Amino acid sequence: MPLGISKKDRRSIRTALWASNPVTFHVLGICSALAVTTQMKTALVMGAALTFVLSLSNTAISVLRGFIPGKIRIIVQLVVISTLVAVADQVLKAFMYDVSKQLSVFVGLIITNCIVMGRAEAYAMRNPPFKSFIDGIGNGLGYSAVLVCVAVFRELLGQGTLLGWRVVPEALYESGYANCGLMVLAPGAFFLLGAIVWVQRFLSGYTEKP
Amino acid sequence: MPIKKESHLYTFGFALVICVACSFFLAAVSEGLKSRKELNMVQDVKKNILKAVALKNPLPSRSGPREVLHVFQEKIEEAVIDAQGRFIAGKKPDAIQEGEEAYPLYIYREQGAVVAYAFPVDGKGLWSTIYGYLAIEADGQTVRGVTFYKHGETPGLGAEIEKDWFQDNFKGKKIWDAAARDRVPLTVVKGRVKDNIPAGRQSFYVDGISGATMTCQGVSEILDRWLKVYEPFLKTIRKF
Repeated sequence: MPLGISKKDRRSIRTALWASNPVTFHVLGICSALAVTTQMKTALVMGAALTFVLSLSNTAISVLRGFIPGKIRIIVQLVVISTLVAVADQVLKAFMYDVSKQLSVFVGLIITNCIVMGRAEAYAMRNPPFKSFIDGIGNGLGYSAVLVCVAVFRELLGQGTLLGWRVVPEALYESGYANCGLMVLAPGAFFLLGAIVWVQRFLSGYTEKP
Repeated sequence: MPIKKESHLYTFGFALVICVACSFFLAAVSEGLKSRKELNMVQDVKKNILKAVALKNPLPSRSGPREVLHVFQEKIEEAVIDAQGRFIAGKKPDAIQEGEEAYPLYIYREQGAVVAYAFPVDGKGLWSTIYGYLAIEADGQTVRGVTFYKHGETPGLGAEIEKDWFQDNFKGKKIWDAAARDRVPLTVVKGRVKDNIPAGRQSFYVDGISGATMTCQGVSEILDRWLKVYEPFLKTIRKF
């Protein structure tokens, strides 16, 4: 088996990516999904930062789960998460300075991202470390996938570029095409995210119980 | 006596251990990356100055921090002037105190001859403060280049001020009317210059960004404010 990942682990990653995607199924992490998705580059880096924090915080909390006193468990989770977020922020500042300037406060706000705390409390507190790590990777990727989806549309329609490269040809602009200004503003992300949730739920057959 | 997991003592002890462990870890990471972070910040400022003065041999787009620092050291002299436009001998921009009437000036030389003077500009945009550099050619009348590197403007609209197409519009524009012998505020217009401004005056105006009128007004005000501050100095380098 490659890397010791069992069939079950792969299934759990797939579930987090699709059937119980943290954004479209649980509707968590919406705030940053709106804020950092005007460009693909920031969405990708944000997705990577969240996946890093989520997988390691899940692992750390799972290792500690037998020792964490119930009364202060949320605070302990937050301490672990904040430490990891601060590390991610420092690494970005040192190695990807330009991107870290664009992401500004949103890296710090991973601390308050409900996906991270939600997985810590709901999964890592009662599952062994490796399974929690896999769960973190899966949910991180599920979040990143939605972010990138939104960002592709926003960057393409709002600025005519993808990853900074011009995609919409100059000739089209000269013949009167204009970028969709709505896409670069927060409402554009709301519409897109709504549409993505709708399409994803339609395809995966999920309906909320009345 | 075994310590119970839900006892106060255990809870306090656990909290203490976790906090100390996390703070040590974080301190180690922060300290380990400190030199890299500082280098990044310093080179970012210098990269923007180099961009504003429009180097004759532009930096490759993927140049690392060390190359930026090297080129900066080779081409740019850091100086400080006072409110009357006189050089303050031996003073560096880093040494300027808050509230002091001293202004940094970056002198770009190519083979010994001054090509441009650059200085920082900042002020209010639509949402928050815009920071940038403006470079004036050695004649004291022509804009060599401009860069805005930090702002909080709307992405896709006002944020276009950080894009090359907008900043390139400033190149070659005039801040001095040679015929009237007077300074002219450099203004970002609403729409295109060639549609809105009479032919003889077009060199004092810059194309605006559609949908970002307030940001453009902010840019005009910022540039004019700092051009006024540096006017005493610019006066000394103009030749008639």
